[in-house]
Amino acid sequence: MDFSLSEDHEALRDSAANFLNKEVDHSALLAPKAKVDQAGYDKLWPQIVELGWPAIVVPESYGGLGMSYIDLIMIIGEMGRTLAAAPLFGTLAGSWMIEAAGSEAQKSEFLGAVAAGELKLALAVADDDGGLDNAVSSATASRNGDGYVLSGSKNYVVDAASSDKIVVAADSDNGRQFFVIDSGAAGVSIETLDWRDITREVCSLKLDNVPAELLEKSNAECWSWVRDRLYLVLATESRAGIKFVLSDTVEYAKQRVAFGRPIGSFQAIKHQLADIAGLGELTEAAVQYAAWALSEGDEKATIAVTMAQSYASDSYNAAVHRYIQVFGAIGFTWEMKNHLYFKRARANSELLGSPVEQREQVVQILERKAA
Amino acid sequence: MDFNLPAEDDPRRQEIRQWFEQHPNPTYKQIAERGLSAANWPAPWGMGADPELQYIIDEEFVRAGVATPHSINAIAVNQCGQSLLTHGTEEQRQRFIPPALACEEIWCMLFSEPSGGSDIAAVRTTARREGDHYIINGQKIWTSAADYAAIGVLVARTDSSVSKHRGLSQFIIDMNSPGVTVNPIYDMTGEKPEYNEVFLDNVKVPADRLLGSEGQGWQLVMQQLQTERAGMTKPGAVWGYGPTARELMHGLIETGKIKDPLIRDEAAKLYIEGELLRLLVYRGMSNRINGKPAGIEGNIGKMVAAPHGQQLSDLAKRTQGVAGLVVNDDVLPLPDKNYGLFSNWDYSFWFGPASTLGVGTQEILKNSVAEHILGLPRDVDPTSKLPFADINKTKSSAAA
Repeated sequence: MDFSLSEDHEALRDSAANFLNKEVDHSALLAPKAKVDQAGYDKLWPQIVELGWPAIVVPESYGGLGMSYIDLIMIIGEMGRTLAAAPLFGTLAGSWMIEAAGSEAQKSEFLGAVAAGELKLALAVADDDGGLDNAVSSATASRNGDGYVLSGSKNYVVDAASSDKIVVAADSDNGRQFFVIDSGAAGVSIETLDWRDITREVCSLKLDNVPAELLEKSNAECWSWVRDRLYLVLATESRAGIKFVLSDTVEYAKQRVAFGRPIGSFQAIKHQLADIAGLGELTEAAVQYAAWALSEGDEKATIAVTMAQSYASDSYNAAVHRYIQVFGAIGFTWEMKNHLYFKRARANSELLGSPVEQREQVVQILERKAA
Repeated sequence: MDFNLPAEDDPRRQEIRQWFEQHPNPTYKQIAERGLSAANWPAPWGMGADPELQYIIDEEFVRAGVATPHSINAIAVNQCGQSLLTHGTEEQRQRFIPPALACEEIWCMLFSEPSGGSDIAAVRTTARREGDHYIINGQKIWTSAADYAAIGVLVARTDSSVSKHRGLSQFIIDMNSPGVTVNPIYDMTGEKPEYNEVFLDNVKVPADRLLGSEGQGWQLVMQQLQTERAGMTKPGAVWGYGPTARELMHGLIETGKIKDPLIRDEAAKLYIEGELLRLLVYRGMSNRINGKPAGIEGNIGKMVAAPHGQQLSDLAKRTQGVAGLVVNDDVLPLPDKNYGLFSNWDYSFWFGPASTLGVGTQEILKNSVAEHILGLPRDVDPTSKLPFADINKTKSSAAA
């Protein structure tokens, strides 16, 4: 039993931190009315590829590094801490769906390309209304000779505009299945949404008879397998965000003087920040345990990641609320970075369903166990 | 990283289990002689058990249906006994530790005073040296077990000419000494009083009952409270003890009350928080096994665990509706487990307000987290640097 990070994990985290501290620059985003296209998606990605991050969780048999989810969260945490803008989330999401639903040949082809840094992906699961598990999807697949064509629409697709290919959940004669399309194919129209979190590219998708390749092992369990992993990614970002936001607020509270004292000496401020420290500690425990459970294939992995995502979302929202309140009115301006974190926290707690929905999943797991 | 807890077939577990099987109704003297009373202490008192072995031993006590010595003689085993190992004399160790570990002499902790509250360094009880004795005068309050304890660990002021933190000393006193009067305090639960007030009227304590040296009292208090708070990170309803969110969820599912959508979400929140508190406990344990600093779990853990416990009992209580106001402990079904003092939801609920007061109020803990962990500026205590005698003078002249 050893809950602590190994030196290798710490080294991986520190190298990611060094790189991102140097390269992430949000100054363009702090100009009023900035949009996600100023976030630097294009600039960061080639360097991320060079560092091998897209290959981290791709199994070695497909040309990846085959590292663990604990390794992965070292990187994701730093991405979340710095709000680094790059299509890593979409590429991970698409890769995992291919890993879950693809045939051996498909995995070799697509995952090999991801690992080599030659393929950026996105995963389109949400329908028009944001539903992730709708009985009827807003995208349908129909047979066309040997292959399929997709029509309809998907929504809230992370990193779609930056992607080379998109994995799409659509209804075929065989129920919900997953298909790969070329992002640039005729009939695909991708619109980048006017999304509040401008450090992340989120898009809507219209499909009109788009040629598509069925992932041959598609089944109903694929999405929950992928969702578990995406919960871990968002919860990890949130954990790192809480840590950053707390330390930034503490620094400010030490320096800002009012009524002849640093405001951090007032109990009204101290107690709020102590509460956030508590939330942060529990979130960290949740995320590390979830990453370990996923890496081990532990039977509790699903409940662990679901709990982590729910708790991390609520905690991150509580932390960013304080982040703005303790800074006072200056923290409410566009030129400060506080709002970037505020918006990321909101987005992370909605993208994969709300904390309430995850808690419902947790209770259902416990009810099944008790039955 | 490895979150696996010690397995059923762990050889260390087998060994402990075997001992309990060979000793089906052990006396605490036998338990102490086997080194199980305070297994984490070094030999000859304990087994030098690492936290993992300690965890196994605790589980095996539960399995054998034997109450742990640290629940029966908590002050000796958890909080104060180790101060004798580190700061006591050999004579003190030989005299006090064996009967403490055998639960033959129960200890109590004479710290809090009526005038002090959270400001525990503002102790007014005095210890005056006279020949080979100290003469103790003063009053203590909120003392658990004082009504049946044989031994008291007392904090008293030996020097009023220095600042309040510096003039304190600790003594090991005989609770049956002439001049010690113990009165029970009836708390709002109406149950058997858990706390007492203790009057000390010219109590004679031999000089060799001083623990450590004069002036070392505050340092010992801090160590003892830290140990106590770390023990309170557990996810039970009151100070880490009693039923947890797992039992709450069990009861709600069994009764079908989980179907209520509001209860459902609230219960899920508490369940998750409870599981994360468990992880915090294990992480503290893992850090100690692996030689890492225990870190901040103690204060942060208690800060989160105390309100968590209150919310557990509160939700359990609310499922009874108006019927919950009638004295009646049938709240939610509990699996057959012995939770000791806080063994049902009803008592846990009515006792609940105390859990954010005792062992540091919620506000004191938040100050401590903010100042010691986050590094925010210390609060100003205008009395902290004054000689203690002058603090009282200022107060009385202001009153006049």
